[in-house]
Amino acid sequence: MRPFTADASVLGGAAGAFVPELTLRVADTLARLRQARDVTVGCSAKRAVWSFGKTTLYEYLPLREAARDAPQRSAARPLLICFALVNRPYVLDLQPDRSLVRRLLAAGLSVYLIDWGDPDDADRCLDLEDYVERHLGGCVRHILVSRGTSSLDLLGVCQGGVLSLCYTALHRREVANLVTLTTPVDFHTPDNLLSKWVRELDTELLRQSGNVPGEALNRLFLALMPLRLTQQKYVRLLAGNSDQRALEDFVRMERWIFDSPPQAAVALAEFVRWFYQENRLIRGTLRIGGKRVDLAAIVQPVLNLYALGDHIVPPGASAAMERCLGSRDYTGCGIDTGHIGMYASRKGADEIPSRIISWLRERP
Amino acid sequence: MQNPFMSAAFKPDLAFTGAAERFFELLKSFSLPGAGAAGAAPDWSALAGSLAGQFEQWLKSSQSAGPWFTAASASGSGAGLGAAASSFGPLPLGAGAAPQQDAQRSWDLVARLAQLQAQLASYWSEIAHDAAQRFVTRMGAAAGGAPTLDGALKLYELWVNCAEESYAATVRKEEFCRLQAQLANASAALLVEQRRHAESLVRAFGLPSRNEVDALYAQLKELRTQLAELTEARRAKPPPPDRATAGRGAGKRPASAPARDRRSRRARKPRA
Repeated sequence: MRPFTADASVLGGAAGAFVPELTLRVADTLARLRQARDVTVGCSAKRAVWSFGKTTLYEYLPLREAARDAPQRSAARPLLICFALVNRPYVLDLQPDRSLVRRLLAAGLSVYLIDWGDPDDADRCLDLEDYVERHLGGCVRHILVSRGTSSLDLLGVCQGGVLSLCYTALHRREVANLVTLTTPVDFHTPDNLLSKWVRELDTELLRQSGNVPGEALNRLFLALMPLRLTQQKYVRLLAGNSDQRALEDFVRMERWIFDSPPQAAVALAEFVRWFYQENRLIRGTLRIGGKRVDLAAIVQPVLNLYALGDHIVPPGASAAMERCLGSRDYTGCGIDTGHIGMYASRKGADEIPSRIISWLRERP
Repeated sequence: MQNPFMSAAFKPDLAFTGAAERFFELLKSFSLPGAGAAGAAPDWSALAGSLAGQFEQWLKSSQSAGPWFTAASASGSGAGLGAAASSFGPLPLGAGAAPQQDAQRSWDLVARLAQLQAQLASYWSEIAHDAAQRFVTRMGAAAGGAPTLDGALKLYELWVNCAEESYAATVRKEEFCRLQAQLANASAALLVEQRRHAESLVRAFGLPSRNEVDALYAQLKELRTQLAELTEARRAKPPPPDRATAGRGAGKRPASAPARDRRSRRARKPRA
């Protein structure tokens, strides 16, 4: 890597006066970033309890203090978290003070999480039916049998929320309460730039091209706001008011953002076509495994949390859920943050777990 | 050009250094004669021209081939065959290795990609010039006073706002969206074409082709699905009592226990 050098003379006169200060700040920030490079991610203890293909189901171990303070835990209905295929789920348990999982455990909930793993060439023909019926469905059935219960609570995040909606519509009796986080339902809202960009993609070519590397999808997401997402956030570190801990938080998030798994070709092609191009979910024309996915069939309580400043899932894309569900117990709530902020910002870390926990407690 | 956003192993220090360097380049523009100097008649056209030039260059290098491409940004609009298609994985063969008529199809696709990239470049130019104009229109009060680093950082924030607004206005246009899709489609078509060449070659050497391997995977998937269904069905209903052990409590264990134990042993070690 080339060392950063700033030549004061090129700025000329008074404007060059702050170049030494700038150079110092760059050197200091760079040194601290290097120190923070090896930060760890994921903080709560968990064990793998089931796997199918590349998918692994984890059960989080109860926190000691939760086990002590919440004697009702063993009777609590299990909560399964279904994350997106396009990102890693550890963002929900990034660090102790920003961990949705930890907050849920501390509330005495019994938490399971699906890790979809890294599809390789052997998985290029995995389709959405596989993911919904066999991978997500397999996780649900394993939990129900092993816990000896007839239903669980399901928490779907982003694309995982879409899969959770599909599963709930198809298997009503297995899901008692559904929570969705930054989950799109209407993919054709006018402010959905991602949807506009992929509207004319040839999904048959996409399918034939093989698995899509995670980096390709990252570039797509970064291209939505390239200067903000690839430049400004680093330059802001020069403002000089971030301590080492804040810098480590920053690096943790960066690590997660750029750590994306590859996407199975067929499942991705189907997702683009069925959801982004044809908007089948809200139109009621989606079929998975030959069965129609009817959102009106979702009659159980639903809590839908979405970000008001989301550039990937615009709030309107998610809020549209209210008018499609059959549930009479729907709670929609827009949080004043962005897409990533829902998982990792201070606001998200405080507000979202509290809302989920209190909502679930009211629906035992 | 090294680009930390296109690497599997993300390096935040590298990304930071790159952003700091570009920030310094911007400062050079901010301090052009007249721009922000108190008392002097500002030369807005020089500032706008410099900003637009820098931004256009950056858009070309970082976004030139759209988000679906890996290496095309490094070589600009003249991206080569491998570069154009490599976002979907490295290719073992080039168009030159294919039979003549197949190679022609590949070269046609390369030419198509170059043509689309040239069209994209005109949008980068439009965005850059619009952003620069927005900036010089708004900078007014922010430009006065003695230059400080904090003042420069405020100007930078203003510049990013202007640049993102211009970018958003253009990339939402229908024709731009269509162009993005055409680029992705041409890239995918090129990759599929090259794989087709590879398939014919491996057949000639008696090696299993991608299609044959896919067919095997499909069979394997079907078998695994059936096995999983059988296992689940077995877990869901209690086993019939074993005559030899009936009456000694053997059938009293919960039906789910054996299957659960087996699966637990198979499960992978947690990563995090």
